[in-house]
Amino acid sequence: MNSLLRRFLMVEWSGILAAIILGSALLAWLSPAFLTEFNIYVMLRSFCVALLVGFAQMVTLAVGQMNISVGALGGLVAVLAGGMMEKLGVPMILAIPAAIAIGALCGLLNGVLTERTGINGFIITLATASAFTGINLGITQSIPFYNMPPGLVAFGSDRFFAFPYLMIAPIIATVLLGLFLSRTVPGRHLLAVGGNPHAAELSGISRGRITILAHTLSGTLAACAAILAVAQLGSAQPTIGSDWLLLSFAAPIIGGAALTGGHVSVLGTTLAVILIALIENGMVLAKVDPYWVQFVLGALILAAVWLNRWRAVKTGTD
Amino acid sequence: MQLSIESVSKAFPGVQALDKVSFELRPGEIHALMGENGAGKSTLIKIITGLYRPDDGRVTIDGQEVSFQSPRDAIAAGIGAVHQERNLIPRFSVGENILLERLPTRNGLLDKDAIHNEARRYLDLLDRGIDTHTEVRSLSVAQMQIVEIAKALSLETKCLLMDEPTASITEHETEALFTLLKRLRDEGASIVFVSHKLEEVFAIADRVTVLRDGKNAALGEPMSTMTRQKLISLMVGREEHIVNKPQRTVETGTVLEARGLKTSFGHRDISFLLKRGEILGLYGLVGAGRSELARAIVGAAPVTGGEVLVKGKAADIRNVHQALNQFRIGYISEDRKNEGLILTHTIRENIAVTIWRRLAGALGLIRPSAELDAVMPYVQRLEIRAPSVEQKVGNLSGGNQQKVSVAKWLAANVEILIIDEPTVGIDIKTKAYLHELIHEIAAGGTSVLLISSDMPEMVSLADRILVMHDMRLVGEVANDRRYETVSNAIMNRIHAVEEERSTAATG
Repeated sequence: MNSLLRRFLMVEWSGILAAIILGSALLAWLSPAFLTEFNIYVMLRSFCVALLVGFAQMVTLAVGQMNISVGALGGLVAVLAGGMMEKLGVPMILAIPAAIAIGALCGLLNGVLTERTGINGFIITLATASAFTGINLGITQSIPFYNMPPGLVAFGSDRFFAFPYLMIAPIIATVLLGLFLSRTVPGRHLLAVGGNPHAAELSGISRGRITILAHTLSGTLAACAAILAVAQLGSAQPTIGSDWLLLSFAAPIIGGAALTGGHVSVLGTTLAVILIALIENGMVLAKVDPYWVQFVLGALILAAVWLNRWRAVKTGTD
Repeated sequence: MQLSIESVSKAFPGVQALDKVSFELRPGEIHALMGENGAGKSTLIKIITGLYRPDDGRVTIDGQEVSFQSPRDAIAAGIGAVHQERNLIPRFSVGENILLERLPTRNGLLDKDAIHNEARRYLDLLDRGIDTHTEVRSLSVAQMQIVEIAKALSLETKCLLMDEPTASITEHETEALFTLLKRLRDEGASIVFVSHKLEEVFAIADRVTVLRDGKNAALGEPMSTMTRQKLISLMVGREEHIVNKPQRTVETGTVLEARGLKTSFGHRDISFLLKRGEILGLYGLVGAGRSELARAIVGAAPVTGGEVLVKGKAADIRNVHQALNQFRIGYISEDRKNEGLILTHTIRENIAVTIWRRLAGALGLIRPSAELDAVMPYVQRLEIRAPSVEQKVGNLSGGNQQKVSVAKWLAANVEILIIDEPTVGIDIKTKAYLHELIHEIAAGGTSVLLISSDMPEMVSLADRILVMHDMRLVGEVANDRRYETVSNAIMNRIHAVEEERSTAATG
């Protein structure tokens, strides 16, 4: 095998990038609608919430934890933000930061419970997920808040050619998260704890504090995703987040994250979300029943994990 | 069994692990396989046990060429192995672990009685003290090793591979193991014995094959014609380098003091002083409680009584973070794979983990170049051999891994360093190097608490030696670097305590 191809294969997101390029070429060839400005805008817009959801799970995977409550937490934040703005008349400029802060607190709660009780984070977040959903439905009685501030709705739908303004948020998040994980002390500590908690602890890192930090960050990111979802939908639906869980794992895992912790890829996760958006878009263009998107997503996770495994064996990085 | 490896090669990306290596095992012999870390022993063993397939060359059993696709094939061919890594299931009983691959059943259900009777038969060959009903997780490391050996024996193997079987068992258990191995040999079994300990190889092996840099340095030489020095030079390519430092006078000034420490492990009345620039040895048999004491001192385990003083002031150390940042104490764990290193991370990341805090600049960002500048001197000084510092630590040889875990603490620039079994499973060259380094560290003013069960290591490194036995300090021996007198003095202390106890028990 020539060395250029080999080096390309060594990069863990190489498979996803290849799939994106091939998929785009195929769609452009099959459907004239694919490359229109409006279709690209639609695709980019659907990418925004999904990326933040993927990141919310990615940070917990990084530390060797899972957050089953990403969706429930997002749903709660969405209705709280909506309720504050519609029922209490809180201005957007205060309501949004307050809602994100509540998301962070919910994440903090996940982290503190996990750490203090010593119970597995999977169980804790499974329980809090149910609790968050309960609060959400208790407040809304399943009725959405429809009267959102026009500024927020405009932010969620306006565009500059094919570029949705909504995308500013995930771009900022990507840059900050990339810097955080590769260049800051807590970020490095987070990956160290995920890589080997015993070694990290014996190296003077506080495992407890870092685990709590990861959950808090996860909550914050899920809350940001919720706000974007409200902006995009133009209303605070209690169902926001109900379909996030699968996606939240799919994106980082397709992007090359280790389920055992200690290794995640911001770029890989981003590409994975692009690929997922592309597939969803392609199926809409091909008029496939949307329920089959679920199936394809599942198949894609399997394919990605298998590809990563194959690559690890081939390149000897296993 | 007649096992022949004929000019086998195996390459991994960037490394030719084995280069036309041969090995021949005859029926009824104990054949030692020796070599430094990274010489290719593990790769050869993995080929014999079916974990790897060779790129080139032939493997034959009793003249028939074989090609193992998996460890199952090797087991089916009668090859049993005791690997360095534990392969036991913690929550299963000893009996179930021993018979795991073929648990006896009755009417489709597990036959508990048969399991324990059958397992008992093999276990009795080694140690009558272990109950087959005990869960493996509650055994000591040495006991687990014994269960592991019993498991290999139970496979009725004709060829038994032992990869450093004595690394974690006591001398007494080692003797029992050797008696057993000799008996198995006399009954016609073929045994491959991998060890770093020359004494053991001379005590037990009939022939020896030595690997060096993935090639044969010796092929089936009879041990009767072998000398210690010759064997070492075959492995290292030069004579053994024995650190023989003169006695030193240590600066005065106590940096660490323990006063009547108690821990939840059962330590009692632990009192000692560690002076500035001193190497204080802590000797004891496996299970004496040395590592546990170290953990308690650095805050990784609770102290339940007494006090620790750092530079004369009472220090309530609650966690390793505090030990490192507030009191400048570091602990190099003996278990480098599980507790010392993050195997999936790079050399750079593993060394820098203790100093990121210090490296962070504006906005809390770590500059990659600053990180590299901080790490490189240690990579060079410790001669860590790898294509680059971006290499994953899991891909390094044991010796280089140990250098990384030492480098991490040198970079942290601690004043007190607790080093736990620094050279277990490490090749002679690296071992000599690490000894030299520990001397250097102490000469530079760092105080070292050295935990080791390697008597020659103790004698060549420590200034004073504390003897620990059964969670208590039972004596202190001045080290005049005379091996016989020092080791006798230490063993006498341990024997005296044992005798006292047995008199107390009978009287």
